[in-house]
Amino acid sequence: MARRLLVASSIATLLIAGPAHAQKATFDLVGPLAEYKIYVSENLQQLVKDTTAFTDAVKAGDVEKAKSLFAPTRMSYERIEPIAELFSDLDTSIDSRADDYEKKEQDAGFPGFHRIEYGLWEKKSTDGLAPVADKLLADIKELDKRIGSLTFPPDKVVGGAAVLMEEVAATKISGEEDRYSHTDLWDFKGNFEGSRKIFDLVSPLLKDKDGDFIKKVTANFEKVETTLAKYKDGNGFQTYDKLTEADRKVLGAAVNTLAEDLSTLRGKLGLS
Amino acid sequence: MATLPLANRRLLLKTMGAATLTCPFAGMAVASPSPSTSAHGKITDAPIARSASQDDLVPFHGTHQAGITTPRPANGMVAAFDVIADSLDDLERLLRRVTERVRFLTTGGEPPALDPLLPPSDSGILGPYVRPDALTVTLALGASLFEDKPWLKQLKPRHLSRMTEFSNDALIASQCHGDLTLQFCANMQDTTIHALRDIVKNIPDQLVLRWKQEGNVPVIEPSRDGVVESARNFLGFRDGSANPDTNDTALMDHVVWVSDTRNEPAWAVGGSYQAVRIIRNFVERWDRTPLNEQEQIFGRKRVTGAPLSAIDASEFHLPDYSNDPEGNVTPLDSHIRLANPRTPESDENRILRRPFNYSNGITKSGHLDQGLLFIAYQADLEKGFITVQRRLDGEPLEEYIQPVGGGYFYAVPGVKDEHDYLASSLIGAARA
Repeated sequence: MARRLLVASSIATLLIAGPAHAQKATFDLVGPLAEYKIYVSENLQQLVKDTTAFTDAVKAGDVEKAKSLFAPTRMSYERIEPIAELFSDLDTSIDSRADDYEKKEQDAGFPGFHRIEYGLWEKKSTDGLAPVADKLLADIKELDKRIGSLTFPPDKVVGGAAVLMEEVAATKISGEEDRYSHTDLWDFKGNFEGSRKIFDLVSPLLKDKDGDFIKKVTANFEKVETTLAKYKDGNGFQTYDKLTEADRKVLGAAVNTLAEDLSTLRGKLGLS
Repeated sequence: MATLPLANRRLLLKTMGAATLTCPFAGMAVASPSPSTSAHGKITDAPIARSASQDDLVPFHGTHQAGITTPRPANGMVAAFDVIADSLDDLERLLRRVTERVRFLTTGGEPPALDPLLPPSDSGILGPYVRPDALTVTLALGASLFEDKPWLKQLKPRHLSRMTEFSNDALIASQCHGDLTLQFCANMQDTTIHALRDIVKNIPDQLVLRWKQEGNVPVIEPSRDGVVESARNFLGFRDGSANPDTNDTALMDHVVWVSDTRNEPAWAVGGSYQAVRIIRNFVERWDRTPLNEQEQIFGRKRVTGAPLSAIDASEFHLPDYSNDPEGNVTPLDSHIRLANPRTPESDENRILRRPFNYSNGITKSGHLDQGLLFIAYQADLEKGFITVQRRLDGEPLEEYIQPVGGGYFYAVPGVKDEHDYLASSLIGAARA
């Protein structure tokens, strides 16, 4: 019920929002975009819930519990990153890395998930993390609020499939994202799921002549899934250092090929 | 989208035109490289200022690959890749795709125009029309490509192995080895970069970039007497004075090309072993070394390149150690004397060098990270580079240099014609 309402309201906003030349493409995308908005909103709900539990554990000084909640909490964020990144102030405050700060980990301004990750794994302590945890939860709630009232730009959504792959290819495949916890494979999984969701939603709109393209992209998503599945451990994944050199190459090739192929998705759907 | 078929047709016509033009020429390619670049005697001659043109064309087709005995232009690069190929069909597909890209890049042409809503087909860094610019792209295979694959293992060239550390090496794992290398050489650096980006964009699913090193050699003014000097390395000395003459076909057949007398797998005939070494030079320390000592270390005069055995001669005068058994004139441990003692026995250790100087930024200590991208070709890797390097182990020059990367590879035979592809003989042998 709630779902149908949301679809209807998204159609309304989209029809008003689309520029004239892109109206045909935008109209076809109404259904997929509404579906995607539901996907994002479900992930946001999960993210708020998980971040609350995670930051509670940090504030309670429970290092082990906080460590166990870190990677699963992030997955919902990683799935919807193309949308979350539209608010760059929040993305910086939630998910930036030590590299983004002049004094790296020692920089007082280093915030968010990775600041807490650094404390939990490197310092093995929650000392001084309570304000960081409060800020993180507040940022996540603010993100939820802002996305709730956002009209999803079709080009950002469709382009998001490639953006997720670009990010994995450029700064994640090396294991530098979760450098203290080495839970990178969880993030990969989230990014690939988020990218594939977009692709699966819009690929029915592709033309018949794109059959080979759809097959190739699907095959690469499946190659990634099969490779990641080798590293499953309970509800999550083994640490990044368990990834063999050979599998890292397979993932690297697949993600670069996905980035290359998905970079044509906007154009194929007539979006600029 | 309406522009697509038209652009494709135009490209096709252009390519056909180019092919018709160069075909009669391609047959002569091996014996005499393109006229615009054939004035040089040795590949280590410095490129001549103002003689290079973006229309210089080094024919892609031939018995041997280009980029080995063809003249060395001002810019070079080696890129090493890991290969994703689970079957012989996969490997053949990869080699055919590389061939297709390299054939286009080295011939030149107009990349197809696509719908502007799509990413363009070409990086555009050379402009709308890609001119050949003397580009050569030379493909070589590493031992790991063969060893990982039961269906290819028996076909590994006899001497091809994973490079092992020599006494002065400090190898950085991320700058060593690889399943496959592409050596790019061209007049302009942008042309080598354009070619690499084309390959990376077009074959991301089968080639995973592992490392790359770029380099260049100084372009010099033509001398009044027409003699072409060897280019200088970053230690200030001429490098390659004693390199074998690449215009001497018989000598190349002996020193560089694997023939059917070498006991190698039949598919490998016409290829050559490629040794790549990224050799850092400690240039600050070198520049603080007395000139006499520098010259004793090399065995040559710095300014002229003359051997110490004939200090008033030119760099091309052959060193003579026959009257100097104790090394009073040319120290026994000088670089050129250890590398080539010029005895009847050491003749079989000759190699063809094709080096470039590199400059990469600075080290953690604030020193310049500069050195030599050493590339050598030979018909027998064991008797060639490996033996020469063993002789050099412990040389006084080691105080000033440190090899940090590279590897051993096998440059496959040439692509015969437009129907052939790189390493087709290997794929054929694996299917037999």
